[in-house]
Amino acid sequence: MNSNKTHHREKIALLFFLLFLAMTGLMGRLIFLMIFQSEHYSAMAEDLHERERTIKAARGNIIDANGTVIATNRTVCTISVIHNQVKKPDEVVAVLSKELGIEEAEIRKKVEKYSSREIIKTNVDKALGDQIRTYHLAGVKVDEDYKRYYPYDTMASKVLGFTGGDNQGIIGLEVKYEQYLKGMNGKILTMSDAAGIEIENAAEDRIEPISGQTLQISLDVNIQKYCEQAAYQVMEKKGAKKVSIIVMNPKNGEIKAMVNVPEFNLNDPFTLNTNTEIPASAKEKQDLLNQMWRNPCINDTYEPGSTFKIITAAAGLESGVVKLDDHFSCPGFRVVEDRKIRCHKVGGHGSETFLQGMMNSCNPVLIDVGQRLGVDNYYKYFEQFGLKGKTGIDVPGEASTIMHRKQDMGLVELATVSFGQSFQITPLQLITTAASIVNGGNRITPHFGVKATTADGESSHTFTYPMKEGIVSAQTSETMRYILEEVVAEGSGKKAKLDGYRVGGKTATSEKLPRSLKKYISSFVGFAPANDPEVIALITIDEPQGIYYGGTIAAPVIADIFKNILPYMGIEPTEEKTVSTFRISG
Amino acid sequence: MAEKRPVKKKNKPRRFYDYSLLFTVIFLTVFGLVMIYSSSSYAAQLKFNNAAFFMMKQAKIALGGFVIMIIISRMDYHWYGKFAVFAYVLSYILMIAVSLVGIEANGKKRWLGVGSLSFQPTEFVKIALIVMLALMIVQMGKNINTRNGVILVIITTIPIAGIVAANNLSSGIIIMGIAFVMLFVACKKKWPFFACGLGGVALLAFAGPVATVLQKMNILHDYQLGRILVWLEPEAYPSTGGYQVLQGLYAIGSGGLVGRGLGESIQKMGFVPEAQNDMIFSIICEELGLFGAVSVILIFLFMIYRFMLIADNAPDLFGALLVVGVMGHIAIQVILNIAVVTNTIPNTGITLPFISYGGTSVMFLMMEMGMVLSVSNQIKLEK
Repeated sequence: MNSNKTHHREKIALLFFLLFLAMTGLMGRLIFLMIFQSEHYSAMAEDLHERERTIKAARGNIIDANGTVIATNRTVCTISVIHNQVKKPDEVVAVLSKELGIEEAEIRKKVEKYSSREIIKTNVDKALGDQIRTYHLAGVKVDEDYKRYYPYDTMASKVLGFTGGDNQGIIGLEVKYEQYLKGMNGKILTMSDAAGIEIENAAEDRIEPISGQTLQISLDVNIQKYCEQAAYQVMEKKGAKKVSIIVMNPKNGEIKAMVNVPEFNLNDPFTLNTNTEIPASAKEKQDLLNQMWRNPCINDTYEPGSTFKIITAAAGLESGVVKLDDHFSCPGFRVVEDRKIRCHKVGGHGSETFLQGMMNSCNPVLIDVGQRLGVDNYYKYFEQFGLKGKTGIDVPGEASTIMHRKQDMGLVELATVSFGQSFQITPLQLITTAASIVNGGNRITPHFGVKATTADGESSHTFTYPMKEGIVSAQTSETMRYILEEVVAEGSGKKAKLDGYRVGGKTATSEKLPRSLKKYISSFVGFAPANDPEVIALITIDEPQGIYYGGTIAAPVIADIFKNILPYMGIEPTEEKTVSTFRISG
Repeated sequence: MAEKRPVKKKNKPRRFYDYSLLFTVIFLTVFGLVMIYSSSSYAAQLKFNNAAFFMMKQAKIALGGFVIMIIISRMDYHWYGKFAVFAYVLSYILMIAVSLVGIEANGKKRWLGVGSLSFQPTEFVKIALIVMLALMIVQMGKNINTRNGVILVIITTIPIAGIVAANNLSSGIIIMGIAFVMLFVACKKKWPFFACGLGGVALLAFAGPVATVLQKMNILHDYQLGRILVWLEPEAYPSTGGYQVLQGLYAIGSGGLVGRGLGESIQKMGFVPEAQNDMIFSIICEELGLFGAVSVILIFLFMIYRFMLIADNAPDLFGALLVVGVMGHIAIQVILNIAVVTNTIPNTGITLPFISYGGTSVMFLMMEMGMVLSVSNQIKLEK
């Protein structure tokens, strides 16, 4: 037995040695894994565990010229119930029904529905949400979120634009100034478990969000509101499809108002603003929404009609082919090549000077001026005035001018272009060019954006816009101001006359295409004071019913607007007012 | 480690009792409970709303097992021999029963039981086989060195190991391993065993090509080949078979030298599936680092060292072989478990003795420890 025992001991010792070797081997493996491979595996593990959670940055406010907030953020609450956590369903139903004003039965259905989370109401006021919180109801969740909020609902809707679900701009200035407004979302890097649930107390990296910058725009809420009111009035009175008004500072291109009625509610941009039946297909509805969101001043072109005579006249004067007292004769039409082009006055204006031709808005006079210039010269001025390109306004989606190619332009085309037909520009392009002609000859860039200021107010960026000087001489500009003042004083624009103010302007009645439909756009572009314009305004009335002459329906609206905004802008009426009042009463 | 008990009453010879082993067992069990709590509390909180769910369950069984261990250790181990054949036969009955009326969990029938009481009969088979083989070898005397003796041992082992392997491959491997170790110690020959061992290592070294060939010959199932391929390149199968292994490696790798600290593991939060079971060593690595992991291995090594001492000094061959069987059992499980967790060998479900969660396992381990302590208790101290 003894020998047996020795050999057993030997074997056991050998076994132990082998096991020792195996375990040493494993320890070696561990050293390899935990020291040399540690970085590799811990990096992979980290990757697996880290979850990024963003902290929303508050979007920057948009303020008007006076600092009035016109786009901001509002904290809203979402009220929801979690079925599993509801302890006293009756109390929950009663409280929510009372606070939210929803039928008890409806809430009860949601409370009793077996689902992970049932939303009772969204976009609930923060105050109401806080009040519901004070009940401390088990299973009732009140979640907060930022939502873009427009205090004036519909004001300048097509200019401001709105934001989408991720707080990103969708149309208008909200898109254009996205990079200033959006700010930078912050981040919380957290560790999470396999199910993606955050691990509490785990070390977290936090990157603070940077709030968006405050954007100041040149729009003036008071002027905008007044113009909106005026636009709605004329739209209603004339049964028009839509009415647009642009009010701009002709000296620097700052837009003070841009109204496009009917406007839509920016706080509810996905609801159609018309009473038309909501189409069944999503595509049709989207098409209608896109129509509703369009800004006709910028996104759409039209034939400017007689207002464009300002451009032809300026080109004629600038090139010296016409002078104020040049004589013309209007038999009621003009034959260009083989075409007979009519004047709006069938019997003709007879003999008249250039000034009178402008005051009468006489087509043959302007056709003659155009013909005197010739295609090459006319085209040169068309381009020199900046009509070929876009205005460069800071609202997205600006439409380009639709103009004949120079090589396709014959004398007939030249004749029609001379009085504003057979080509299309945007209303904004017209007012911008008109402003540039009467402001002394400087082509301005129309714009809204004035400056962007960081949320802490520490630094700000003032936007600058290009200005092209000398598109017409100061002399021509002065003559044009005189002509246009005379148009209002004694000519076709006399309904825009305003006691105590020197107003210049030009009317237009453009026939919409196809001409057979007999649909019109009545418009008027006016500026004041005529000797040194501080404000220029354009109104376009789309498809008015009944009387459609621009001079009759469009001009008085601008007069009314000027009457109200000029004193507001600090431009007091001159002494003449009392004199003329006296004269009339006398 | 000898206890100096004053000689009292009967003139009994002074007896040895391996307190070192006893304390090692206590330490490992308590450490196991701590690690079970650490690795399972997060999942338990989510699932049972009680962070200590797994730990408490294990603690109760471990406490019961501890009492049984003490009782067994105070008995004469020769007494167990009387039950050897009965236990051996019972093993077959239990294994057949489990395949028929076993309780299914995770798609495998591995539990037998009534109501809330259930156990894995494979654990019982291990201890039964240790006693059975020890008894057989002792009765064979020198015949164990003959071919017939060896064959007899193999014939005793293979059927039961086969049945177990069919139910649970890893347990089958462990049972084979136990028999191999016991035979190795009992038999005078060396080289056949070394040849076997080398063969095994060689098989592991060329596992990839060998497995592919075997699979082509329809001997290996697709999923088994898959496991081998995953083992060779776990990062190529992150979402399928490699998930568990890779998550274990992430845990081990994240540990570094001193670990994240006790309770700070992130991998236990649902990444390592059932972290308190087979993969608990990876959580030990993550939380306690290389330092803790090596310490655990050293404690097991110390335990094996104590087994060696007891086996060497056992009063007779039966006692020695019992201890060798237990030694083989624990050593094999420790080595295989750590090898699996560190992706040294292909993945197979083997628990880490005393530390992994599992009631049956800890209960029978305690019984085995009781047997070893009983053997140690029979050692007569000279002088």
